[in-house]
Amino acid sequence: MFTISNLVQKAQSAAQQLIDPMQGLNLTNSDRNPAKSTLFQYQFRLPSSQTPLYEIPAELTIPLRTSPKAYMCFSTTPSSFVSSASTATSSAFTGQTHGGGPSGNGFTFPLCAIRRVERLNSQSFQFALAITTWNGIPQEASKDKDAQKDKSQIREQRITIQLAGTRHACERFCDGLKKGLRGGVGNVGKLKKVVADCYSEYLLRPEDKKAANPPDAGLGMMFKYPGDPKKLRDRAKMRLWAEYLRDNGRNATLIRQPTFHKLIRVGLPNRLRGEMWELTSGSLYLRLENPTLYTDTLAKFSGKESLAIDEIEKDLNRSLPEYPGFQSEEGIGRLRRVLTAYSWINPEVGYCQAMNIVVAALLIYISESQAFFLLSALCDRLVPGYYSTTMYGTLLDQKVFESLVEKTMPVLWEHLVKADVQLSVVSLPWFLSLYINSMPLVFAFRVLDVFFVEGPKVLFQVGLAILRINGEELLDATDDGAFISVLKGYFSRLDESAHPKSENPKLRAINRFQELMVVAFKEFSGITHSTIQDLRLKNKDAVLNNIENFAKRTAIRNLGPDSKLLSPEELGAVYDRFYTILYERQQRDQSMQEERLRRAKTARPSGASAFSEHSDHGVEKGRVGLGPSTSLMDYDAFREFLAAMSKWAIADSPATPRRDTFPPADKDQYFSSFRKSTNNLLSPWGSRPEPAEHEFMQRLFRRWDVDGTSTLTLQNVVTGLAQIKGRRDIMGTITYFFELYDDDGDGKVDREGILRISEALLFLSRRGLEGTLSPSSSNPSLSTLTDTSGPLSPPIGGTMNERFLGSVSAFIRRCFEYADPDHPANQMEHTSNAVSSKTTEADESQAPDDSAFAIGDDEDEEEEEDLLAFDGPKESPQETPEESPSASKKKAVLPSNPPALGKPDAENETQRSVSKAQSEKANVALDPSNPLHMTLPTFRMVVLADELLEQFFESSFPTSLHVTEGLQSVNPGTPSLTTFASFGRSAASSLPIPQAAANGATRGLRGVLDNIVTDASRVAAEVRRRMEEAQRELEQNAVPGQKDEEEDDDDDLRVPKSAGGYGGDPERRSVRSSDLDLLDGADAEAGASKGQEGSSHSILKPTEATSSQSGASDPPGQRIVEFEG
Amino acid sequence: MADSAPRPSSSVKLVLLGEAAVGKSSLVLRFVNNDFQENKEPTIGAAFLTQKCNLPTRTIKFEIWDTAGQERFASLAPMYYRNAQAALVVYDLTKPTSLIKAKHWVAELQRQASPGIVIALVGNKLDLTNASAAAAGGSSEDEDEESGGAAGGDGGDESGDARKISTDEAKTYAEEESLLFFETSAKTGHNVSEVFTAIANAIPETSLKSTRGPGASNAVSRGGDEQRVNLTGPRGDASKDSCAC
Repeated sequence: MFTISNLVQKAQSAAQQLIDPMQGLNLTNSDRNPAKSTLFQYQFRLPSSQTPLYEIPAELTIPLRTSPKAYMCFSTTPSSFVSSASTATSSAFTGQTHGGGPSGNGFTFPLCAIRRVERLNSQSFQFALAITTWNGIPQEASKDKDAQKDKSQIREQRITIQLAGTRHACERFCDGLKKGLRGGVGNVGKLKKVVADCYSEYLLRPEDKKAANPPDAGLGMMFKYPGDPKKLRDRAKMRLWAEYLRDNGRNATLIRQPTFHKLIRVGLPNRLRGEMWELTSGSLYLRLENPTLYTDTLAKFSGKESLAIDEIEKDLNRSLPEYPGFQSEEGIGRLRRVLTAYSWINPEVGYCQAMNIVVAALLIYISESQAFFLLSALCDRLVPGYYSTTMYGTLLDQKVFESLVEKTMPVLWEHLVKADVQLSVVSLPWFLSLYINSMPLVFAFRVLDVFFVEGPKVLFQVGLAILRINGEELLDATDDGAFISVLKGYFSRLDESAHPKSENPKLRAINRFQELMVVAFKEFSGITHSTIQDLRLKNKDAVLNNIENFAKRTAIRNLGPDSKLLSPEELGAVYDRFYTILYERQQRDQSMQEERLRRAKTARPSGASAFSEHSDHGVEKGRVGLGPSTSLMDYDAFREFLAAMSKWAIADSPATPRRDTFPPADKDQYFSSFRKSTNNLLSPWGSRPEPAEHEFMQRLFRRWDVDGTSTLTLQNVVTGLAQIKGRRDIMGTITYFFELYDDDGDGKVDREGILRISEALLFLSRRGLEGTLSPSSSNPSLSTLTDTSGPLSPPIGGTMNERFLGSVSAFIRRCFEYADPDHPANQMEHTSNAVSSKTTEADESQAPDDSAFAIGDDEDEEEEEDLLAFDGPKESPQETPEESPSASKKKAVLPSNPPALGKPDAENETQRSVSKAQSEKANVALDPSNPLHMTLPTFRMVVLADELLEQFFESSFPTSLHVTEGLQSVNPGTPSLTTFASFGRSAASSLPIPQAAANGATRGLRGVLDNIVTDASRVAAEVRRRMEEAQRELEQNAVPGQKDEEEDDDDDLRVPKSAGGYGGDPERRSVRSSDLDLLDGADAEAGASKGQEGSSHSILKPTEATSSQSGASDPPGQRIVEFEG
Repeated sequence: MADSAPRPSSSVKLVLLGEAAVGKSSLVLRFVNNDFQENKEPTIGAAFLTQKCNLPTRTIKFEIWDTAGQERFASLAPMYYRNAQAALVVYDLTKPTSLIKAKHWVAELQRQASPGIVIALVGNKLDLTNASAAAAGGSSEDEDEESGGAAGGDGGDESGDARKISTDEAKTYAEEESLLFFETSAKTGHNVSEVFTAIANAIPETSLKSTRGPGASNAVSRGGDEQRVNLTGPRGDASKDSCAC
């Protein structure tokens, strides 16, 4: 009556699951050790929210029928055990299997279906539970009617389980069960509602209570079920089933005994078919979890449109059109609703042709809501990947099928190969539509009956059987066409006798379909779930690669005309990079999430298994071949994308989010590499270098994001790259650059934009320039400087950067020189203001006065405005929706910025207060209502006026995007950065300056540039803490720095002179008025009042003097910002 | 029976490609069965049909692979156009996106299919345009059976001109790519057989393989020899060499 199974208590799991040991072995081996919860879910067809909590061996006694050797798996799994009460699905289940997976005998009870559990008094070594389910009640009523059926006195469905674990284990199990039961109480109502949709409830109701309408058993109730019920012996089947259900429970509490499987093999009766599908596929439990999901989904998305819906509409009239139900609005409406609802809850699948046919078939036997969940179970578990956007599951299973044919029917296989017949051409529709449109419906449904119980292997078994039966004829077929005709002919004669000439009438009575079933399940009984699983694993990569190659080919070919500007290699590389980044990011997200969960769970080891993937294929999400879950690149991914190609896009100081120190560059390098080696896994960038964050990249992103979706498609990226790299024409690049900064597209770039352009130029060049650069005419020593990626010797690199720096500063000056004022009239007025302010103030106070724009404002009532200035213009471009660590950090840091700057200036307080009045005036003077702008021709002219800039636009910038080869060494440019560092060192000394820049009226261009190059906000925080240190550093570096400075001066000097004469610009005016002595004064002031700044000034002083004009007129980014605020 | 025609017979593998619901299956159905169905089940994977086409000097047996149009089935297409000697790339005259898709297919075929493949670009659903009046005249078939049509799905029978893609535009493109070009109506049958005749004519003699015995006869059993006659269907309109190129 019952047998004892071994104890398979798993130590790591606090769960007791009663499991047939042999079966446990089977599954574990076959599935290559997937997580236990996966097995569990698969075995009992439970939703993925369910995990085994307790497992315990046990024995089962079923009171009425004796079922010898009914191994019993009893597993309780309210998820509320696993974690907190958050997952309130307290529907715990008990179940049992025998043989493979869900096809076995046993039961799966939702705990809420259990009415009572009693511990039976028994011998001490036995631990027996008697379980009574809710379903006993109507059953008892019906039993009264057919008393002859039931010898037992039990009026309720009641089963007995003998637990075979240790006493301790048994007790723990019972505890768990108790909790589960308690948790399940709330769901009893839900269960009753769900179960009420099951036809068996109605069927077993005593006749006198049958007045109520029967539950919806599909369109068949209205439009007749396919096939002749007499021929199908529907009544007889129904009687058998009624009997079985009476004895063994129904729907949620059905116990699967061997008879159950026999009954299914002969075909389900029409009205019970849907219910059994739902039960055996496990979709009943999905419905139980969320009974209203279907109606809710429909309501939620009512009236919404999507591509899937368009596609569905096209096919509604062509789904089983020969069935009367689908010639009616009723049937079409149901089909539409189910497909639509599913496309909403699973947008990755959406709608795939063939789903219409499958769902149409389902709807003949089940209600809409049931079909919806059944479709869900199909797509997620039974035929995973079949209907996905790449249909990888379909293709994979075709490969699996082919290898099975090769293995089981080598002769036929050889023939196919020789005749060059592609098997999948024939078999693909079989699998994709589950034989529904290959065979006559009545037979297809018989296949489905078994398929839902035994799983996808049935599709293979039937397919193999078809080939086996038609083997002879197929061997004669020599091309696809002939092959197809043979099989079409076969399908059309499935109802004919398989042995028409046989003497034996019994044999004659066997039709071809029955023969097919016998062959499928007898001859190919060796094909098990694990066979399929193994073969899937084996073929997965090849299939995915194929799909990916195809997708790549197609994607590249389908890129717009812009793509023609790039070479095929480049396109291929862009494609690869694009999806690699997305894929890697997804993987990282996932692993980080898992890591987080793992950490959260460490306290409870049992929980870990809950998070294993439950996908049958064990496939990675996001892979292109699987239907990428995203093909959109957000800003962070975009940065990463650039960083893989361009060294300028790599962050200088790969910083962890919390990091706000700013050590000298080379030290930084050291730290970064160190950090990388240790922190790889958890870094948001994985093993990749951390991408830089710069306004330029944001602009680029927005420029490429032509659709304004804040994400880039592959097309966007290709178009974007093509515009930069494809033309290779300097005018084009210049225009492109200009347009990047022409925010409103009016052909003008304002002062702010000009400064941003120069920032960008420095940003792009800070690791050295690439491409063809002509040796500097002014500096013969640079003749070797056709630098590309090779490490530059520091001095040369330094000089190169110096040169470029000079070029940029000249650029700024020229820009302002040739810029057009927007409102000349206003400017006059402001000029006078400025002049008056100048005259009223002493020279020394003038400088701090300028500084007061930043500092004074910060502390005074103008703070708001200043903040605006800081946060607004400067930061607003960065306020893209993205939340990169650096960006958020920036935000965090910013507010503290103004105070930080202000403090050291305490000494200046007096001066500042004096200057405040003036600063206000100056601010008025520099009011954006009085802007200037530069047009494209001006910009072009200014660029072309400088050889280095010209070369930058001609070759350096386009070259810097290494599309095909990528960055060879991913080190964030130790060599190249040293180049920068060496340059930086002189300037790096002045690193704090950028902060100070805000208040240093005489901020040297150098300081400005540093500011630009470094991450201002990061520096800002640092400044506060490191004032002293910075000063010391400055002093140390003063000497070498000065040299560089002086070189620069030459450049700077030249321009200011030419630039000196214009009075139109308010800033310029004020600068002019303050003049050199003012600057000196400022420096002195700064030096005296704020140590850290003074130090920088001391270095810069020489420069300062000269560049001050330009410095004032082409004000450092920050300052300008303030002005503009 | 395969050799019922005295002329040398050879088979040609032809594949139909194009966006979903442009009328690929309907074209084939018109060509093979001279029929038009409103609600045709969408093609899952691909459908296979055969039809013979008699030329003065030889008989061509088309083995037609009618593929599924939905985007996600695209990755299956190589399976079907493998070894194809001819391809029919179909678009919907009333749907601009379908021509874009058609161009994608042409590009795909030119790069991936067997070299020398004969490609015909076919704009279907001519019946929905103003030209339909003229087109309908010649064909005696049952175009009156249903409205809308599987070919269209969106086929309105309002008399307005639903054409969105001008003949010139498509023709110019076809000429650039050296494609055969036709505008057809599967519903009325206009120009349908001409397409296949032109393809048959364009297949170089050398690439023809002769049909095989038993297999071929099996294959034909569905397509049916008797349908050969249909070639003369829309007799009035166009001659065999209506090829636009």
